Amino acid sequence: MKIKNIIITFVSAIAILFSTSVVSLAKVVGDKIILGAAISLTGKYSSNGVHTQNGYNMAVDRINDMGGIKVGGKTYKFDIIYYDDESNPKRAAQLAERLISQDGVEFMLGPYSSGLTKAIAPVTEKYGVPMVEANGASRSLFTKGYKYLFAVLAPANLYLDVAIETAVELNGGKGVRIAQAFEQDAFSQDVRLGILDAAERTGSKIIIDDKLPKELNDMAATLAKVKAVKPDVLVVSGHTKGALTAIRQIAEMKVDVPMLAMTHCDAAKLSKQHGKNSQYALCASQWHKTLTYKDDFFKDGMTYAADFEKLFGYDPPYQSAESSAALLVFKDAFERANSFDQKKVRDALADTNMQTFYGNIKFAEGGQNVDKPMVLFQVMCDDAGKCENKVVAPLKWASAELIHPIPKWSER
Amino acid sequence: MNKNIILYSAILIFGIAAPFIFPAFKVQLSILCILIILAITWNVQGGEMGYNTFGNILFYGLGMYLCASVQVGMFFPLGEWTEGGGEKTFVHTPAQFFQGFAVGLAVAAVVPAIIAGLIGYSILGLRGHYFAICTLGLGVAAGEISGGIEIIGAGQGFTTPPFPNVDRLEARGEFFYFCSFVVLVFTFLAVKAIYSTRFKLVLNAIRDNEDKAEAMGIQTMKYKIIGWMISAFFCGLAGGIMGGLVGYIDSTDVAFDGREMGVFMVLMAILGGKGTLWGPVIGATLFHIFKEGFWTFFLGWQYVALGVLIVVIVIYFPEGIMGWLREKYPERFGEVVDEADRKAQVTLK
Repeated sequence: MKIKNIIITFVSAIAILFSTSVVSLAKVVGDKIILGAAISLTGKYSSNGVHTQNGYNMAVDRINDMGGIKVGGKTYKFDIIYYDDESNPKRAAQLAERLISQDGVEFMLGPYSSGLTKAIAPVTEKYGVPMVEANGASRSLFTKGYKYLFAVLAPANLYLDVAIETAVELNGGKGVRIAQAFEQDAFSQDVRLGILDAAERTGSKIIIDDKLPKELNDMAATLAKVKAVKPDVLVVSGHTKGALTAIRQIAEMKVDVPMLAMTHCDAAKLSKQHGKNSQYALCASQWHKTLTYKDDFFKDGMTYAADFEKLFGYDPPYQSAESSAALLVFKDAFERANSFDQKKVRDALADTNMQTFYGNIKFAEGGQNVDKPMVLFQVMCDDAGKCENKVVAPLKWASAELIHPIPKWSER
Repeated sequence: MNKNIILYSAILIFGIAAPFIFPAFKVQLSILCILIILAITWNVQGGEMGYNTFGNILFYGLGMYLCASVQVGMFFPLGEWTEGGGEKTFVHTPAQFFQGFAVGLAVAAVVPAIIAGLIGYSILGLRGHYFAICTLGLGVAAGEISGGIEIIGAGQGFTTPPFPNVDRLEARGEFFYFCSFVVLVFTFLAVKAIYSTRFKLVLNAIRDNEDKAEAMGIQTMKYKIIGWMISAFFCGLAGGIMGGLVGYIDSTDVAFDGREMGVFMVLMAILGGKGTLWGPVIGATLFHIFKEGFWTFFLGWQYVALGVLIVVIVIYFPEGIMGWLREKYPERFGEVVDEADRKAQVTLK
């Protein structure tokens, strides 16, 4: 009988909880503008999910501390409802639905990764909820005709084509031989498309074109091929895990390539985790702290990085910076719309044209940011083994010269 | 019998009224229907036939991809729709959307059933753990293979056609809810009808002693295959609807999601009581409420709670809720109880 009582109590407790959750919060309660976000706090994107959340939180606190948002002569503060999407698109779509129809959220921030953004966008679009997202770069997001989706970042296909162009330039304008390996997910596959385009444009040849599994921990097969055919450039993209796995195994197998181009080096904290082994890796980044953009809230990249480190104890990867920028965009749009009407806020977002510490932001028809180029940095280490990311391209912001080709392992 | 009719009509009325009583929970309710379908169909193998399969997720995923592909492919070139960058924008008219979805669902039901027949023919000879491991492999392999097929989006994923704009915000939720509810009713009635025939007895015979069943002249292989085809048929339907509901298909995270859906369907059936008609229904309902409750109120602890739930199920309810009830109140289940015998057992303890 005891068990039965426990069960009855348990079931009814859940039923009560479930039924009370119908009480919905409104978009603007008192002096709070409530934004909704599904973030990957667990699962394969959890580390980047946390970078995203930290970026959001830091910007919310900063904007609130510096006077909040002025709409219709009244001052408001930001607040965010978070849910954990477990890095799962199915879950993310469900949570978007819940944020909007149960929690009454009328403005959304994006999740981490293109795949999850792809799952959420149809929902926000259906309800006409403006979403400013900072971590969905896949090009196909911007060709679906979405009206309420705004991305502060440059599309994924632009991530690494600068690297290919640089390699071709250094090769005397002749095409290069490219080996590439990409994770099976929306973002990485889009980076791949960018490389295919760049290869065609420059007359380069792709000699290895491998797919890596999700949750990847091993790419030895690809690297063995690379060792055998000796390409001019090796391109790897697979979020944080991809970057870590690539560096670990390249060092273990002593794979020599003249150029190694990757994504997510800063999110993976490569230079910290792998030290000298990560040296010379070339990384695509949406942002770097040494860029010279400015705004009133975070001043500039260096100040942002210092403040971020004070709060969270690590150097901000670009995923955090772009997430912070998303809040600045929202604030700006609310004030220009001077209203909480979703349609008006949407139109104001579409007219955005501003500079933030993270870069210039101006949205194209499809919602992608067209006013901010990508940067490339290279991991460089001093003799003591201390490694740093230094911007090498575009030249306007370069703080160091590209080291090419990468010295052989036997000579390091 | 009369009592049953009242019960069934009450459930039916609740099912029809639910999206209007809880308008904000339409998506959760639709997913509940899908979960119940999956639990019921898993129970045909795992419960009645004694074949623990982890492979039913294969049919669910297949159904999802097939339904979406047909829905797109009927009106637009599928390759261009799913092509990496997706440069072009295609829009379904309402008529195209619904026609495509209907045909898609039909394909999503029939093709997995045929595939279940073919695969079943080759692997249903395996028994016990060997069968379980083999089917586990099926789901994993399907996820990896589909992640490499360009025409269905490969690693990029497949965005299913957006719901047409019909000037009613609630239309999408209602449409998918009623689709899943109708399929659920259909599944339940079909399985109930099957369970009232000799077919169920054969399945149980296979579970209890397959060799003996064979010795008695039953062609066990035939029944095992037919049973799996029935499961695949409904799993495919569930998958097709789920694809439209989620709006985005990813090979390993949404379609061939063995880690979640594949495990959930087993858990739900066991929680409710495998080998019973109502067990999976009760199990899936409780499981879903439990899961959603934890996701809402104890964010970050949901998987810990799920782990605890699994342990509790295995230790306290190895036979599931229905099994536990049956042991407690055998009279209600139509079992004749010898009071003297029962008392004797009690004193023995």
